[in-house]
Amino acid sequence: MNETLITVNDLTKVYRVPVRSEGLGASINSLFHPAFSEVEAVRQVSFEIKAGEMVGLIGPNGAGKTTTLKMLSGLLHPSSGEVSVTGFIPWQRKPEYLRSISMVMGNKSQMLWDIPPLDSFKVLGEIYNVPKDEFKRNLDELVDLLDIKEVLVKPVRNLSLGERMKCELTASLLHRPRVLFLDEPTLGMDVSMQLRLRRFLADYNRASGATVILTSHYMADVMALCPRVILIHHGRLLHDGALGVLANGMAPFKMMRITLGRESVLKEELPPLPEGTELISLEGNTVSLRVPRDRAASTTAFLLKEMNVVDLAVEDPAIESVIDQVYSGGAA
Amino acid sequence: MKRGGWALIRSTWLSWMQYRSFFFILAFGWMIPPLIYLFVWSAAAGEGSIGGMTRGGFVAYYLVLILVNQITYAQTNWTVGDLIRTGQINKLLLRPISPIYDALASEVAGKVVYLVFIVPILIGLSFLLKPEMELTVANVLAFLPALLLAWALRFFWGYWLALLAFWTARADALLILQDSLVFLLAGQVAPVALLPGFLKTLAVILPFRYMVGFPVEVLGGGLSQADLITGFAFQIGWTALAVVVYRFMWRRGLVRYAAVGG
Repeated sequence: MNETLITVNDLTKVYRVPVRSEGLGASINSLFHPAFSEVEAVRQVSFEIKAGEMVGLIGPNGAGKTTTLKMLSGLLHPSSGEVSVTGFIPWQRKPEYLRSISMVMGNKSQMLWDIPPLDSFKVLGEIYNVPKDEFKRNLDELVDLLDIKEVLVKPVRNLSLGERMKCELTASLLHRPRVLFLDEPTLGMDVSMQLRLRRFLADYNRASGATVILTSHYMADVMALCPRVILIHHGRLLHDGALGVLANGMAPFKMMRITLGRESVLKEELPPLPEGTELISLEGNTVSLRVPRDRAASTTAFLLKEMNVVDLAVEDPAIESVIDQVYSGGAA
Repeated sequence: MKRGGWALIRSTWLSWMQYRSFFFILAFGWMIPPLIYLFVWSAAAGEGSIGGMTRGGFVAYYLVLILVNQITYAQTNWTVGDLIRTGQINKLLLRPISPIYDALASEVAGKVVYLVFIVPILIGLSFLLKPEMELTVANVLAFLPALLLAWALRFFWGYWLALLAFWTARADALLILQDSLVFLLAGQVAPVALLPGFLKTLAVILPFRYMVGFPVEVLGGGLSQADLITGFAFQIGWTALAVVVYRFMWRRGLVRYAAVGG
């Protein structure tokens, strides 16, 4: 159906981190005799993204997400491998390429601090060469969608974090980029602001057909927005597909919580548990168990038969805990 | 390109007007050293003259120097290094316009803010201190390109020094060194003509005189035709070299930045 917009092939980035001691003498010396140590940030990552897709790039801190995003946006040269985005090689930083993308970094602002957002927007319109009538149309639409009419004329420094992020998004979308890179867009937002931004991003993606690649540490962002996730860990691609598939693959078990018909229960009073089933906690009359996915049914039957169960709940483990297990290196 | 450039200047200026008192204080600080030397030299000259310059001549020289120093002072050089070190330059690199436009915008915007402050002061001072200077059309016509070149030289020279931030965290030290050399050799401590032999030769050869002192000398009309031609030749040569070095450093720096990451 849709054309392939982003192709990444064997992408590798080895940082040469400068090593030097303090002092002016040492830094002048390092101009002529630089010393480096090598860090592999991204190793042989390959994937393709089609026009209009919304993809979540997830992984723990230092996994290589931002490095990958920086290579895709042209801020970094890879050490080896190939990248093509909207038909361009990003790090050549051709003006036509830069006009076709946008990058929003949750911790960096592209607006001037002391003047109202509207003035910054106008400057960006000029820099990106957006025709006047198109600029007005885009701006009106974004102001409407993000509900920022009142903040347009306040100096940026007087805006709240949420208002500022809405303005950042507006600033980055004024030139209608075909590809939008979002690095931690909901960083520091409260829950309702996160929800509104998510809704906006989903709507925008649907309406404009822009391709969106997003990194986030909030699993809720990724779950709500991205049908597809790419998991990077230690610089390697570990998973590329639906988040649910990732969770099932990584966590082949279910959580079972049962409440017994008595005041409290001691560990010794429990019947011997079926093979593979683990006792997670025991509080008063509530027992939590971890059961292999394929034995969930038989274990349920066993428990109902052996014990006086008044309530029983079977749940998938929280995505956060599955991801935590992946991030901290243990297979679940 | 051009559209974006003007828009940047306008917005930078708007944002700086929010802080005009801060910039007035900066401008005031830059004015003080030449003002001190104005009083020192005009007192030393008394009723006579030193090296052919009278009291009124020194006053005129330093008042023009204060103006030229304000117009040519390249303050963005201090911020470019910070942009590189903190990675803030990323947002400029993502735009389809070269980051040097951002620095140029700050330059132009800044000059307007400073001049709003400095020109009334200079007018006031000239009523008080009675400068003596014969302005001729020829001198003014020569002064304008000399001033423009002085600004360009000081800007690009400082800019390439600032780009050292791509390689080292301590590039600011070299900017401080440059400011000291400007102070010593650009006609601030004394007009270049009054420097002792060895320093005078250095001042004529090195780029610093052409950043501040040379336009002042041109306007004063004290230079012989030969000195004028040599002066312009040095000024143009140094400016061209500064632009070439800037372009080279920018390209190399960017490759390195993209390799090391910001």
